[in-house]
Amino acid sequence: MNWFQRVFTGKRMEKELDSELRFHLEQQVADKVRAGMTEDEARRTTRLEFGGIAQIKEDCRESRGTLWVASVLQDLRFALRQLRNSPGFAITAILTLSLGIGASSAIFNVIDAVLLQPLPYADQDRLVYPLMIARTGDTLPSSYLSYLDVRAQQRSFDALAGYSMFGRVNLEGPSGPVALSAVKSTDNFFDVFGVKPLLGRTYLPGEDQPGKDNVVVLSYEVWQSSFGGRADVGGKDVQLDGTPYTVIGVMPAGFRFPLEAREAVYTPLHMNPVWAKARGMHWMRTVGRLKQGASNEQARTDLNRVMANLARAYPEQEAGHTVARLLPLDVAANSLDRFGKRTLAGPLGTLALAVLALLAIACVNVAGLLMARGIKREREMALRSAVGASRGRLMRQLVNESLVLCCAGLLGGVLVGWAVLKAMNVFLVQAMSRGADIHLNLAVVAVAAALSLLASLLASLSPAIRLSGADPNRALRAGSAGAGIGRSQHRLRSAFVITQVALSLVLLVVSGLLLKNLQGLLHTNLGIDTAKILTTRLDLSKGHYAGRDPIATFYNPLLEKIAHLPGVQGAGVIDVLPVQGWGDGYGIHITGQPPYPPNLDMGAETRFVSAGYFDAMGLQLTGGRLLSPSLDKAENPAGTMVVNQAFQHKFFPTGGDPVGAHIDDAPKAELKSGIVGVVTNVRQALREPQMAEMDWLMDEIDPKDRMQNLNSMALIVRSNGDLSALVPALRSAVHEIDPTVPFKTPETMSDVVSESLTLDRLEGWLFGIFAALALLLAIVGLYGLVNHEVELRTREIGIRMALGSTRMQVTKLLLGKVALLMLSGLAVGWMLTLALRRVLSSVVEMHASHDFLVLASVTAGLALVGILASLIPARRAASVEPVQALRTE
Amino acid sequence: MKNPDQLDLPQGTLDLLILRVVALGPIHGYAIAQRIQQMSREALQVQQGSLYPALHRLEYKKFLVADWKPSETGREAKFYRLTAKGRLQLENETASWARLTEVVGLILQGPEGETS
Repeated sequence: MNWFQRVFTGKRMEKELDSELRFHLEQQVADKVRAGMTEDEARRTTRLEFGGIAQIKEDCRESRGTLWVASVLQDLRFALRQLRNSPGFAITAILTLSLGIGASSAIFNVIDAVLLQPLPYADQDRLVYPLMIARTGDTLPSSYLSYLDVRAQQRSFDALAGYSMFGRVNLEGPSGPVALSAVKSTDNFFDVFGVKPLLGRTYLPGEDQPGKDNVVVLSYEVWQSSFGGRADVGGKDVQLDGTPYTVIGVMPAGFRFPLEAREAVYTPLHMNPVWAKARGMHWMRTVGRLKQGASNEQARTDLNRVMANLARAYPEQEAGHTVARLLPLDVAANSLDRFGKRTLAGPLGTLALAVLALLAIACVNVAGLLMARGIKREREMALRSAVGASRGRLMRQLVNESLVLCCAGLLGGVLVGWAVLKAMNVFLVQAMSRGADIHLNLAVVAVAAALSLLASLLASLSPAIRLSGADPNRALRAGSAGAGIGRSQHRLRSAFVITQVALSLVLLVVSGLLLKNLQGLLHTNLGIDTAKILTTRLDLSKGHYAGRDPIATFYNPLLEKIAHLPGVQGAGVIDVLPVQGWGDGYGIHITGQPPYPPNLDMGAETRFVSAGYFDAMGLQLTGGRLLSPSLDKAENPAGTMVVNQAFQHKFFPTGGDPVGAHIDDAPKAELKSGIVGVVTNVRQALREPQMAEMDWLMDEIDPKDRMQNLNSMALIVRSNGDLSALVPALRSAVHEIDPTVPFKTPETMSDVVSESLTLDRLEGWLFGIFAALALLLAIVGLYGLVNHEVELRTREIGIRMALGSTRMQVTKLLLGKVALLMLSGLAVGWMLTLALRRVLSSVVEMHASHDFLVLASVTAGLALVGILASLIPARRAASVEPVQALRTE
Repeated sequence: MKNPDQLDLPQGTLDLLILRVVALGPIHGYAIAQRIQQMSREALQVQQGSLYPALHRLEYKKFLVADWKPSETGREAKFYRLTAKGRLQLENETASWARLTEVVGLILQGPEGETS
């Protein structure tokens, strides 16, 4: 028989063991009777000689190898039965563990995918973005010509590539056009990342030059989604924006650059010839791989040496440009700003702390539950040890029971973690450049599980040790569940409750502040009614508009059609949608004003709009007139614009009238652009103050350059009616005019606002959920403690009441204790919050004066909830009937 | 209730005694205890608390096998038999016991004889 069979033949073995021993007993009795004893006496003496039968049986079992497995199975069965007998305890403990494990494994998964996993490139620690700044401190992309010079003169990079992500490109697929991200780059782009293509090849040297550059490398995602992952895709001709390209290669799964570029195709630069020749056109970003052994600082010095050469050679265009920083890619990947000063590491680290706090609360809760249960089971354990169970055996049984709880909690935790990640998925993909890489990673779950397993084992061990060591004599004699022994346990549990309340307070404070800030941001006054505006991006295929004017053949007819749809109050287009994008501007000077100090930022954002944009957005004219295709050319042959009120405040602080003013964008007076009107502000970015803005009519662009500038515009439609009912009509309007334009489902401006706050919402929600869970668990802990206290002290309460205590006094006694616990918890919580202030500031800043209301109400709320949670058991204590309480003893 | 003439068994010798008794023919636990007591002329009394675990240990090590048969009183009892492996073990253990006692005896009655 192997052990397996033995385990399952265990029942028979037990029976045989029993009959074998019984046989012996009977024989002995029979012999004694034969020797002249009475039957009764024989039985009594035999019993005495024999000793504990259960003990002998256990020793027999132990002397066979079966014991370990058999007793584990037996314990498991027993544990399950025990848990079934107290479903309230079991469910609470399992739920608590599931929530703790689930939440922490979800967050650790995010951290693992976003912060710990290496980027999908070779030698990621040698990859950097050179960040160039102008004299004013603004970051500045490179121009093509200066890039070529830097590339030729630098000595510290293996490869330095230039790239641009000019939005989208339309791929004509079998099921209509698909809009993809287009990453356009110099020929050495793939050399930087050191990633080999999965199929085919990447660019050959010189393949970024016109004539050779109609080649495309597909990302794995696009290869799968648009080409069905076919291996014969190499050499195929495809239409990108209506132009034929040859597929030369496919990148492996996981390769993405930039990390935000999902569904990407990679092509050579395809520059506007003007940009290729203009040293003043700063449009290209660069990324490089440092030479082996070159330090970041050495490389920066090297690049600045080249920049100094360029400044000497081309003082007009290049003077004052320096490389401020070589931003490592892994820092940039999680950067929340342009310089990598604020990264995701801060908020994620804080989230990890929060989730650890939650896990701690959960474990403490389970430990408390186990202890309370242990005290109730003291008698049972004493009985077991009295009939011969060894201390180790009892401990094993208790630990096994906790193991069953842990396993159930673990299963629940995996489910919870999976559900949390699923629910956060959309958020994550939007909020983090690597969000799409987050999946439930079993290794991480295992770590979280091991952590909580360890924690709950420790939690169960202390009651196990104590219980298994219970002196059977004393425990059995003491009669009731030993109130005296419970005392030290009780102090420990009080400490647990204080910990829970303290940690809950920290989480509540953080989430309260986060949600308050989020509300503030969501309700920022943008200057427009976000609920009434529908927007979607229109991406035109360049090939279809070769030699055609996109305004005359697409935008104007489309806007005309939309304007006549029922319910539509206005329709227009703009190149950079407010809230979604900003930073497209340059420094200007108003004609006739004294020169501005060199270090003052005197820039204004520029936008191209259609004439109907202002009405569609709901902007009001405060001076002058709006843009008009018919009037503008006549009035200002060079250029006409409408500015916003912020522009007026910035450039005419003393109250001059911008209408009629010109900007110095050309040397000759008649070529300077003029301002014809002022409109109300619309915020360009939620977190930035209102910026000055100049809006130009898109019709002013020279027809042959129009496609370059207007291939991707945001459509803006304003309606009083049901916005979603408008969507089908918009779709057919777009497709009637150009069926090759991919129609993306429009969203309201409110959606755009909340999307731009994804990370804030994610943080707010997560902290909110954690805080709610922490609060719930703390309440469970507190309730359990008070309830238990009442159970232990029923007798004492009975005596008190028999001696004349009123119910009121009894309630007060208990609530006084609770109040003390809550107060200590809150005090510790506040100390913790203040101590952690610096860590928490990566998520939320705390200002006592300005957030006083939130802080005070969170504290008071927690205290109130605590008191309420203990009211039920306290009332029960007060309803104890003294006679009954004394009689139950 | 211990008889002053009774001896405590040194560790591990009970197994040897059991094997010796069982070697005489199939026998149940109660009879083994009786037989050891008899054969030792009442000097050894085997406690049930050590007899049965020892039996089960020997069975587990495959020195003994057992089957259920009617006993002399007609009740079913578990009769133990020696296996080939058990017989070999008995021989080895007997030999080493003999050597051990001889050696211990030698030392205890050594030429010096200063045993006081």
